[in-house]
Amino acid sequence: MDINFQPFVEWDNSPFILFSHQGKILYLNNAAEILFGYVSKKELYDIALSYAPQSFGYKTTSLTLNYDSFLFHAITVGYENEEEITLRLYNAPRIKPTRKVESEKLILTDINILLEANIALFRTKNTNPLKLLTDQDLPAFKIDQNTFSKLLRKIFDTFKASDSIDISLKLLFGQHVMIDNKKESIAQLAIHANGRYADADEEIRALASANHIKCLLKEHSIKLEIPLIQ
Amino acid sequence: MMETFSTTSDKIHHIIKSFNLTKTLFVSSVIIGEAHTGKKSLARYLFPHAKLVSGEDQDEVMSALANHDELIIADFEKLSNQSLLDFSNKRIIATANYMGNQTVIDDLFAFIYTMPPLAERPKDIEHIKGLFLKEAFSTLMIEPSSVQTDAIPLNLTSNTKSLKKSIYTYLLQHSMDKKEIKSVLYHYLLKHLDGNDGYREHLSLYEVPLIKAGLKKFGSQLQLSQVLGINRNTLRKKLHEHHLD
Repeated sequence: MDINFQPFVEWDNSPFILFSHQGKILYLNNAAEILFGYVSKKELYDIALSYAPQSFGYKTTSLTLNYDSFLFHAITVGYENEEEITLRLYNAPRIKPTRKVESEKLILTDINILLEANIALFRTKNTNPLKLLTDQDLPAFKIDQNTFSKLLRKIFDTFKASDSIDISLKLLFGQHVMIDNKKESIAQLAIHANGRYADADEEIRALASANHIKCLLKEHSIKLEIPLIQ
Repeated sequence: MMETFSTTSDKIHHIIKSFNLTKTLFVSSVIIGEAHTGKKSLARYLFPHAKLVSGEDQDEVMSALANHDELIIADFEKLSNQSLLDFSNKRIIATANYMGNQTVIDDLFAFIYTMPPLAERPKDIEHIKGLFLKEAFSTLMIEPSSVQTDAIPLNLTSNTKSLKKSIYTYLLQHSMDKKEIKSVLYHYLLKHLDGNDGYREHLSLYEVPLIKAGLKKFGSQLQLSQVLGINRNTLRKKLHEHHLD
């Protein structure tokens, strides 16, 4: 029996990359394609070389790799000839939401309205230049409007002393999250500035997790991955 | 009656914009600012059909919360059970004169707005002064052309409340005739006349405004003494007596 495994690799949720011996990409699956938006080819190639087995074969190493919102807990590096080397990264499991989604409490919402309203609120207190790049076609989704607004207020407040605040909202194509056994699309809200306050980070984390939102808090930026619950 | 709200303050325009965007959403908002800055008027103007209750009456607030999805709660600072309230999936617009417990406010409300005091809104002052003047002329039945209104000293320490008082007081003071002034003095003296030196004690009621106005109008003591028909030395003595020198 001859099984074609390529589609399985293609649609595997964990990134898989085949490099040439010069570090050129010969093949990559969908998950890897998304990953390359956040990490350079060279960095992953160097990792593959560093963790390659001593001679032909495959070697799996446990390690933690973090690129933007991607978190991996192990990699397998393998080669069967001198020409090609493969790298597979294992997604760390997303932390399961401890609370069930109380969907009767959620209301179908156009996130752009909440975003605009929070920007107006921010402008009543601050005069910092602020740019918004949004996706008006983002579908409406279910959310607790009050807690989500509170989250946005707290996030914007961390940028109250920053110049050139850039806000962008976009759909993360091809990325999904399972919530209550349903596959939901993900939108990313990213705010970048030249710095921010970190004193409300714990509260932000708590509010985000109450809304099933994954958040990434960095020195100059905050990123939210918002499930578009339907 | 439909509430109207007029402002030229950028800050308030941003508040209105944010409210207009969230009008149909179920979020809780609070407007915090000094008394008499127009918080309740603004809430009424934005939500003309919402039920309005006052934080002074806790029972009324609780029953309104149980029966309405959209609610204006004025005087929120007076509500003593704030931390027990549940605003989830309701449209709440609260107004408060001060923040009170910041943690509780922060927890209850998604949108926390600050209403700027009137002193920070020069153009609004002009506008509101115009409204009060119109009202005062009509209420006091004073002919508008009979009083100069450009230089009314405005007291803004209690925002529109003290502004309103400044205008009414000014108009009254500038429109009284002799008979009314005598009547004012009559009632004042009726209340305060006492002791054994009453004549001298209350003479300042007449002499102080007389000399002050005279100096303002005629500039020098020399000229004023001529206008008053009294000796210059007598005038100087009076100035000293009333601590006007």
